[in-house]
Amino acid sequence: MAQDYRPDRDSSAFSGQTGVNRLRGRVFEWVTLAATAFGLVMVTVLLAYVFTDAVRPFTADAGWYLVYAATVFAPAGALLAYYYRTPEPAGDVALSATGLPVVGLVAGAAIAVLFIEVATPADWFGLVVAVLLAGAVVVAHQRLRPTAALERLLVVALAPVLTVVGIPALAVDVALTSPYTATEILTIAFATPELLSSVGAFVRPVVSPVPGWLLLVTSLTLPAAVLFGRVVVRRRDDGRGLPETVAGAVVLTTAAPVAAPLVGLAALHWVVLATAAVLPTAVYLERVLRRRSGLLGLLFPVALAVGVAAGAVLTDAFGFAGPASWLDWSFLTSPTSITPEKAGIYPPLVGSVLMLLVIVALVFPAGVGAAIYLEEYAPDSGPAGRLVSLVEINVGNLAGVPSVVYGLLGLALFVKGIGLETGIVLVGGLTVGLLVLPIVIISSMEAIRAVPDSLRQASDGMGATRWQTIRCVVLPQALPGILTGTILALGRAIGETAPLLMIGAAASVRLAPNGFFDKFSAMPRQIFAWSSEFDPDFRFGVLAAGVVTLLAVLLLLNGTAIVIRNKYQQRD
Amino acid sequence: MSNDSARLQLTGGARQRVRRERLYRYLLLACASATVVVTGSIIFTLAFDAVQFFGMVDPVDFFIGTEWITDRGQFGVLPLVSGTLLVTVVAGLVAIPVGVLAAIYLSEYASPRARAVLKPALELLAGIPTVVYGYLALIYLTPFLRSLGIDLGTFNVLSAAIMVGVMVIPMVSSLSEDAMSAVPDALREGGFALGATKFQVSVGVVVPAAISGVFASFVLALSRAVGETMIVVMAMGLRPRLFDLGSPLTSLQESGQTMTSAMVQAVTSDVGAASPTYKSMFALGLTLFAITFLLNYLSNWFAGRYREEYN
Repeated sequence: MAQDYRPDRDSSAFSGQTGVNRLRGRVFEWVTLAATAFGLVMVTVLLAYVFTDAVRPFTADAGWYLVYAATVFAPAGALLAYYYRTPEPAGDVALSATGLPVVGLVAGAAIAVLFIEVATPADWFGLVVAVLLAGAVVVAHQRLRPTAALERLLVVALAPVLTVVGIPALAVDVALTSPYTATEILTIAFATPELLSSVGAFVRPVVSPVPGWLLLVTSLTLPAAVLFGRVVVRRRDDGRGLPETVAGAVVLTTAAPVAAPLVGLAALHWVVLATAAVLPTAVYLERVLRRRSGLLGLLFPVALAVGVAAGAVLTDAFGFAGPASWLDWSFLTSPTSITPEKAGIYPPLVGSVLMLLVIVALVFPAGVGAAIYLEEYAPDSGPAGRLVSLVEINVGNLAGVPSVVYGLLGLALFVKGIGLETGIVLVGGLTVGLLVLPIVIISSMEAIRAVPDSLRQASDGMGATRWQTIRCVVLPQALPGILTGTILALGRAIGETAPLLMIGAAASVRLAPNGFFDKFSAMPRQIFAWSSEFDPDFRFGVLAAGVVTLLAVLLLLNGTAIVIRNKYQQRD
Repeated sequence: MSNDSARLQLTGGARQRVRRERLYRYLLLACASATVVVTGSIIFTLAFDAVQFFGMVDPVDFFIGTEWITDRGQFGVLPLVSGTLLVTVVAGLVAIPVGVLAAIYLSEYASPRARAVLKPALELLAGIPTVVYGYLALIYLTPFLRSLGIDLGTFNVLSAAIMVGVMVIPMVSSLSEDAMSAVPDALREGGFALGATKFQVSVGVVVPAAISGVFASFVLALSRAVGETMIVVMAMGLRPRLFDLGSPLTSLQESGQTMTSAMVQAVTSDVGAASPTYKSMFALGLTLFAITFLLNYLSNWFAGRYREEYN
């Protein structure tokens, strides 16, 4: 060890080490790399097992794989290789043109499920009429009394409530008992008759003879088409596009009675799926065709669709059997059963969708509102500022409170406190909503913080009030970030199990919930219930299929969030 | 507030506009206060029933009792605490070394491109639902460990704890990596100028400089492990067992129960809402909430220190 005598080594800060050791550095680098890969590889391998158990790929004929390799994978792979090499944005176009219809179809399926289980088209039509009426009242008030701003606030707040809900019959019976002496401290009990029925109640009997799909064309497709049409108009320089979009959408959906039976769908589902999947895709295609860049990307979804169809025809013709997968259409559409072959996940799937709706409707506005206050209004100095920073720390801490404690909170607050039933959709949504509230707040705060101050100052400089600045400048800029964060929070919400156990969500239900006050089961809850079955077909087959379904929904949610984020990060 | 009204004067100074602004402000303030209300109601609702529980069960018996047999009215929390601690320690043994080494790789060695792929991929691990991890531990990991020759029960502490560890790896690696990336390059360059190798700089300069952030990530990960529910409910069984100092390894091979899974068991078993078993949930929940809140606060404090130093 000649180096040891060299004075420059000994005087270095690292004199304890003996010289330069190349091997040690190399080994250390590899160890750190292995550590990075450890968790990833382990989970990937385990999930590969899950996938194998769920789909059973080895039960398929070799010919089946060969056919699909030739019709789907070879052309898709060739196209992908081409996109990777070409500098044109064809790859992005391919991703969007494939992803948009897929996400649209899944969203459309979720909406269609709502129309099957929760509300009839007539209910929805009544709701839309009520909202339109409320909007008309507000606009009329604005025209007639333009200066009465405070009065308008009242109108804006009350008109939708009165038209949508009316003044329903109320029955309140709350008793507060002391925990120590078990005597009642306070009892509130009263009941009022229904004073004003909702607009929907008037509209429903009138429109009930009209077929459901036609009601949806007017109340779902038309508003959506107007919305998308306005997007097209804003994008185009010549200001055209609104009538074309609306006309196209109406033609597409009124074709339902003729076209739907051809693909084996009910007319109603055709309308919903066309609105959710075809409309956004068409609007996207319009832009790609107008810009004429990355046109070759459009080939990818076409090649995929044609390849899958050709593969289906060919495997059928040759008689090749596909894998005997646990995860198939009947798994997605049937309730659980004591025989593994018949077991499905439909009711919990609907339960999860309804739960997410509750969260989106009740919790997200509060979360985004809190983020706006903390970032835009809250003082950051003085005693009040210290209080605000405490609130911010509190939000961070709430994000770390175990989910099981939130379940306990939901149980105590909504079941024992308000007196809602155990295990209903509303309680589940509210409980899991409280759990994701801090996540929504934190991500929204980050998105709002990322809006450059110069924009706010410019808006202030033009004389905008603070609220006008927020509404017209800050929120539109922060919207993609907020959207990304909230979708990720939804992903967290859909996988939560412990809170559902605490609020008594059913292990498995035969029927899907028909409303927000019905008992429900959610996907993770059903998975947990299956895990205690001893039949190996359940443990390895049905359970794996359930896990893959849950992960697929999660992947779709997170993938959408990541695509939104990347799209808007590039733009900045 | 004064500059608010000055700004409003420019647009005509309509009084109702001032009022409207104030109204929006209060509405949003109400949203922000909702978070405080949530914290408050967690503490209140838990304490409310926990007080009732301690009316039925002596707090001394609760905190130093060594038997948790709810049917016989024995509510000693120590076996549950020991189960929670055991899971947390083993999970920490998995997650802390792996997480820190991964953080060193990501911040010191990885190319920007590798980092752009690996960091979000690691964070995806934290996004997998815990019920899926529990299922992986029960159905795949336990049989795999058995095939390695480890004698394990169907429900055992070891595979549950390993899974909890894998789940919290991203918490350690992500936060530690943030702390290491925040270390100024001048420190690294100083190390190189003194003739140190990359290994020496990574281990001798960067890690010590980022140590408060690294500790913050440990504490956060441990807090997550303490509160983890589904993995332990599914893979660890439901038998409360005090840690056996004489043969520590058998404790890992057998089933056990944590505070969280005792809560789940209490709520899923058919006991009346007035029974001490049902109320014991709230006492456990309060203990758990206190522990995790404390750990999170500690983690924040550590993280605040490194942010103060370098940002």
